Amino acid sequence: MSPCREQTRRRPVAEPLITLRDVSRWYRRGVDVVHALEHVSLAIEGGVFAALMGPSGSGKSTLLNLLSGIDRPSAGEVWVAGRRLNDLSEDELAHWRSRHVGLIFQSYNLIPVLSAQENVELPLLLTAFGRGERTRRAATALRVVDLAPRARHVPSELSGGEQQRVAIARAIVADPDLIIADEPTGDLDARSADEVLAILRDLSRELAKTVVMVTHDPRARRWVDVVFHLDKGVLLGTEGNDALARAPAHGGVT
Amino acid sequence: MKFLPLILRNLARNKLRTALTGGAIGLAVLLVCFFLTMPAGIDVFLSQIASNVRISVHHKGGLVYQMPFAYVNKIRAVPGVVGADGVTWFGGAFEEEGHVTFPSFAIEPEHVAAVWPDYRIDQIALERFRSHRDGAIVGRQTMEKYGWRVGQEVTLRSTVWPVALTFRIVGEIPNARAPLFWFQREYLAQAMRARGVSLDIVGIVWVRVADPALVDGVMARFDAMFRNSAAETSAETEKSFFTSFFGSLQGFVTIILLVTGLVALCVLCIAANTASMAVRERAREIAILRAIGFGRRLIFTTLVAESTILATLAGGSGALLTYAFTAAVKTTTGGWNTELGPLSGFLVSPGIVAQGVGLAVVVGLVAGIAPAYGAARKPVATTLREIF
Ligand SMILES: Nc1ncnc2c1ncn2[C@@H]1O[C@H](COP(=O)(O)OP(=O)(O)O)[C@@H](O)[C@H]1O
Ligand SMILES: [Mg+2]
Repeated sequence: MSPCREQTRRRPVAEPLITLRDVSRWYRRGVDVVHALEHVSLAIEGGVFAALMGPSGSGKSTLLNLLSGIDRPSAGEVWVAGRRLNDLSEDELAHWRSRHVGLIFQSYNLIPVLSAQENVELPLLLTAFGRGERTRRAATALRVVDLAPRARHVPSELSGGEQQRVAIARAIVADPDLIIADEPTGDLDARSADEVLAILRDLSRELAKTVVMVTHDPRARRWVDVVFHLDKGVLLGTEGNDALARAPAHGGVT
Repeated sequence: MKFLPLILRNLARNKLRTALTGGAIGLAVLLVCFFLTMPAGIDVFLSQIASNVRISVHHKGGLVYQMPFAYVNKIRAVPGVVGADGVTWFGGAFEEEGHVTFPSFAIEPEHVAAVWPDYRIDQIALERFRSHRDGAIVGRQTMEKYGWRVGQEVTLRSTVWPVALTFRIVGEIPNARAPLFWFQREYLAQAMRARGVSLDIVGIVWVRVADPALVDGVMARFDAMFRNSAAETSAETEKSFFTSFFGSLQGFVTIILLVTGLVALCVLCIAANTASMAVRERAREIAILRAIGFGRRLIFTTLVAESTILATLAGGSGALLTYAFTAAVKTTTGGWNTELGPLSGFLVSPGIVAQGVGLAVVVGLVAGIAPAYGAARKPVATTLREIF
């Protein structure tokens, strides 16, 4: 990997990678209005590994969708990597995501008819890279998650943990600033979960990626720099060293 | 086209379904191509059997009415006319079994050569036909069908005249497409005279004109000549005569074209069903692709491309298959096959192949559009929420 940190470098050190200012998201469900998020403000520095925890229905996925430009807030501002996401259209957001965000879902992340290598290459199809460069970069990403030997296997030939690692390789292949994972270990056994968490931590430590992950797994606390607690759409508090979330990435705790 | 591998991989994922849909589209295009040969094929068929310089003159009221026999000589006297032959329907049936498969006519033997030079009837046969009162010349098709040979006697009972006549076959009309049975008008006239009736009417007068350019003028002349007489006439070229004789063919063609449209519609539904099934079962993957940055237009385009590629490949094969098939029929049968009859002249042209492929492309495009639009339209957050 050759981390392209230009975006980070251009930004003043004091400015976090992610800033939410008084963000609310509500849904109209018939005559009712569901408040999925209410007046959430937070900041996450570049290179931090953050966890988002809270009971089911507390608005974790909603928050992740706002951070990753999949959804837009009903009120408030979402800033990521110097960009105000509120202003972007659905199509502009899609393009922005392809450049700046790597996404990992709970399971079934991969296209079953494509090999691991081809799955990892998918985001690169949206870039101007030629075929050789795409192949090279995908191979590198697979090496990062230690799956180079399985490049030609299709998802059904891989274990759940291996599939999640392929998904991680796909999330980092286009060298995004931000990696977003919604319960990435939810369907994994303890050992595979630890492998996935270790990779995500290494991405933040060694490649200075910002990783935001939703998790229910209490063991995840060991791996992350900071935990945000959500309940009923409200940000209850931040666990871990708050200074840590604001400090340079490499000074984190274990 | 870097997305092509993804599209092809998706087509290959449910091979049976892809094969069945492709088969349906291919078959439909094959059918449509065959159907589309019909209008042109009928035209070719008519040009083959009919001449442009031969004119039929018949009663204005239709073929069931007769004209005075004296008309024949008046017609012969018109400038531009090379020959004219008065033809009378005999409606011969076998004494025993009744039904026959050939039309029989009383004609004037001495004018056959002038009116039907394109039939290439043997000079000697024609001479024998003229000199034998009971002589008959018969189309090759009919000779072969009944196993008749020259010199044989055949007895036919008329369904029009109250007589049964025994003919001696004196020659053949060497035209595979002519089932005709011709005999001397005088033979019928004598038989009728024996019953005290003089044969002074004629059904059709066949006329050959020197030059196609003269045809219109000559036809107008005939109709003018007999206007306001007891039997007004109507003249038309042989080609248009057969066209109206086969008038039902035109209705047939219309029905065929209608069926063609229905087949196209039917296969469109099949293709659309496949496309929507493919999109539905891939909802999760499509949502993930959109989440990682595949834009709506790209998703739409790749899905439409998928159904279009399938339809085009399948339709193209179907069209080429019919092309190869009809071309092979033509070369092996030399353009005419007794079994296939007029069908052997129905050729799939490159133009029809293009139309078939065009149909397939349209089917693919239209079938893909609705499901692809559905997959691309919803906000990505909503689709993700529906599947995770
Ligand atoms: N598209 C939507 N329409 C209506 N309600 C929604 C929608 N998305 C989320 N919600 C509601 O918002 C709340 C938070 O949902 P979510 O963010 O998915 O919770 P979590 O991921 O923490 O389980 C839930 O009550 C959920 O029902
Ligand atoms: Mg959730």
